[in-house]
Amino acid sequence: MRNSWIIALRELKERVLNPAFLWMLFIGPLLFLSCLYFLFKAGDEGKTSLKVLIADPTGMMENKIVSQETKAVKYYFVNDYLELEEFRDNKKYQKFDALIEVNEKILINKKAFVFYREAPSLDVKMQLKFQLERRVEEVMIAEFTNMEVDDFRQIKQALNVDFRNVYDPKNEASNLEAWVGFIFGLLIILFVFLFGLTVLRSTAREKSNRIVEVLLASVKPTQLMLGKISGIGLAALIQILVWSLFITLGLLFFRATIFPDILDFSNYEGVQMSSEVKEQLMSNIPSQRYNEFLDLVYKRIDFTFFLFHFFLFFIVAYFFYAAFFSAIGAMSGSESDGQQFLIPLLCILGLSVYSGYYAIYFPDAELTSWLQFIPFTASVIVMVKLAQGYPEGTYYLVWLSLLTLILFTVLFLSIAGRIYRNGILHFGLKTSLRNLFYFMRK
Amino acid sequence: MLEISNLNKSFKRKFALDAVSLKIPKGEIYGLLGPNGAGKTTLIRIVNQIISADSGKILFDGQLMSSEHLRSIGYLPEERGLYKNMYVLEHLVFLAKLRGLSSSDALKNSKFWLDKLAISEWSNKKIEALSKGMAQKVQFIASLVHNPALLILDEPLSGFDPVNVELILKELKELKANGKTILLSTHNMRSVEEICDRATLIHDAKILVEDTVWNLREKSKKGTYTIRFKGNMIAFVNALWTDFELLEQTEIGEQRFLTLVKMRGERSMNDLLNALMGEISIEAIEECFPSMQEVFIELIQGKESSYEK
Repeated sequence: MRNSWIIALRELKERVLNPAFLWMLFIGPLLFLSCLYFLFKAGDEGKTSLKVLIADPTGMMENKIVSQETKAVKYYFVNDYLELEEFRDNKKYQKFDALIEVNEKILINKKAFVFYREAPSLDVKMQLKFQLERRVEEVMIAEFTNMEVDDFRQIKQALNVDFRNVYDPKNEASNLEAWVGFIFGLLIILFVFLFGLTVLRSTAREKSNRIVEVLLASVKPTQLMLGKISGIGLAALIQILVWSLFITLGLLFFRATIFPDILDFSNYEGVQMSSEVKEQLMSNIPSQRYNEFLDLVYKRIDFTFFLFHFFLFFIVAYFFYAAFFSAIGAMSGSESDGQQFLIPLLCILGLSVYSGYYAIYFPDAELTSWLQFIPFTASVIVMVKLAQGYPEGTYYLVWLSLLTLILFTVLFLSIAGRIYRNGILHFGLKTSLRNLFYFMRK
Repeated sequence: MLEISNLNKSFKRKFALDAVSLKIPKGEIYGLLGPNGAGKTTLIRIVNQIISADSGKILFDGQLMSSEHLRSIGYLPEERGLYKNMYVLEHLVFLAKLRGLSSSDALKNSKFWLDKLAISEWSNKKIEALSKGMAQKVQFIASLVHNPALLILDEPLSGFDPVNVELILKELKELKANGKTILLSTHNMRSVEEICDRATLIHDAKILVEDTVWNLREKSKKGTYTIRFKGNMIAFVNALWTDFELLEQTEIGEQRFLTLVKMRGERSMNDLLNALMGEISIEAIEECFPSMQEVFIELIQGKESSYEK
């Protein structure tokens, strides 16, 4: 164990003192933050004026929303039932940008759906949401209470306005949380591949320059392999931790300087509100209505929860895959010899990424449930499913998946250790399946 | 110090070691000789527990060998490498720590040996900046930096210039004088003659012969003598008559000759002196011992010709 630690520290030192590693510590987060910045900016754009058709079959709105319409949002009424498909496809409705269906359910559920053809800007969304809510409140007071409007607003519940694409009314394509999970899974695979490749090259280099025989006189082959994998893994962890730190600092910087107004209502022109109302809205309105990406990053994602699982699954998945990379490196006749064996490994990693993509769209499919217990795909699937949210009482599946992954990792490390032990001192051999099985059997 | 009994090892059904047994006494320098592919490196790797034997046992200081004993062994493999991007001192400390030394002892011992082999000014240079000979010295230090009781050296002299060969041989003699046991695998027969107490010859995975270096040479001597004399060559040849055979003659000056003579039958050196006295003026006479190189070639060729028969 002591020797594995000494080997690991040497590997770690070699990686962290490498100028490329040091550069990537800064360039990586910078690139990531740049991408996020453009996503935030993109989330701020959209249609700046909206013609909204309100389908109000009971006439509860009395064909009015606001006393003075603004340029941004214009309302039109139809006092009849209007199917979504008809609004979407019928030529006579094409001049309207959005549809709101108003019925008694809004009063009960406090939830309204806005189906848009083209995503409106944040300003417009804000105005629409505010104006609709005010009108619904007036209707509610008139229908159900004898209270004054101001009194009612002290105790009211905010109206939940859900903006949806008319062409994707079930909101299947904008499963943003799941995509965040997918990105976390993708990062696991990316880091596993990059640092796994380092394990392969480092093992092959030690073999080709023959230092391995000097080392093997002091440490057992499996200790050497584990030390190497651990040291390179520690370097990967350091990189991820530094990236996480810089990205967090960058996000805080964005919030403090570039996007200070994300939750500040006074920055939305055309919306007149008392400070009390603003405060209430601040505490009640889901910020999804302001900027989807900003909201996603700052509000909807629980990074502590995600990073905890990310690190757990990354560490185990890294050891799982690094065992393969190490075995290939030990079998290689030269540093470049193992490349051909990388292709099937790359296919497996690609499959793992694809499985995450599959889980986004088919989260409840039986295949998805199985994929979270297959070691090659578990880490990505679990990340996606965590983002989608495990149904209550099924969180134990995450630990079950981790346990399965750990068991397979131990198994594959022992097989890789056998291949490593037998292959590392066989010089002049080509990497081949025949040799692979020969080394496994010995 | 090291007792190897009936060791067997095969790779893909080919014997690499076939019932190999030998004893390496404490405090001696033991030569492990044999042609390429004879099984020397396999034997050394098994002793170092880098690979395991199919059967047989190894005793280290009377105890069944285990990984604990590896700390008492220093190993310099034939195909050795170093991490090119590490610094000399850092590398030595790293390898010494792997052999169980504490950081402070590893540093102290590394500095001591760098000083002793006169390369301390290279301590803070990267390995990639070293010449081949210099790197060899670092590798040599790495094998003994942890002060092992048994030193296993596989071709320690390859790559060294004559000056450094002398330096390494001197160090080996000093290590022996300090009670260390050394197993030396080499093709450099001069070094075997010079420093080895015993030697074993492995051929085709088997021990061919094992003895002291002196005995090996003694057993292979052919009863030949070199004689340097002043006088008449015809008188010299006549004196030899039928009891001795003149193999070679070289005129080294006016009426001065260097000759190689072989005994016939049971003749002794005294008989030879008696025959020559009064005929010529003998300046020097010495019995010819074969070099280890000759012993080696003769034993290998003899074995191969016996196979052919």
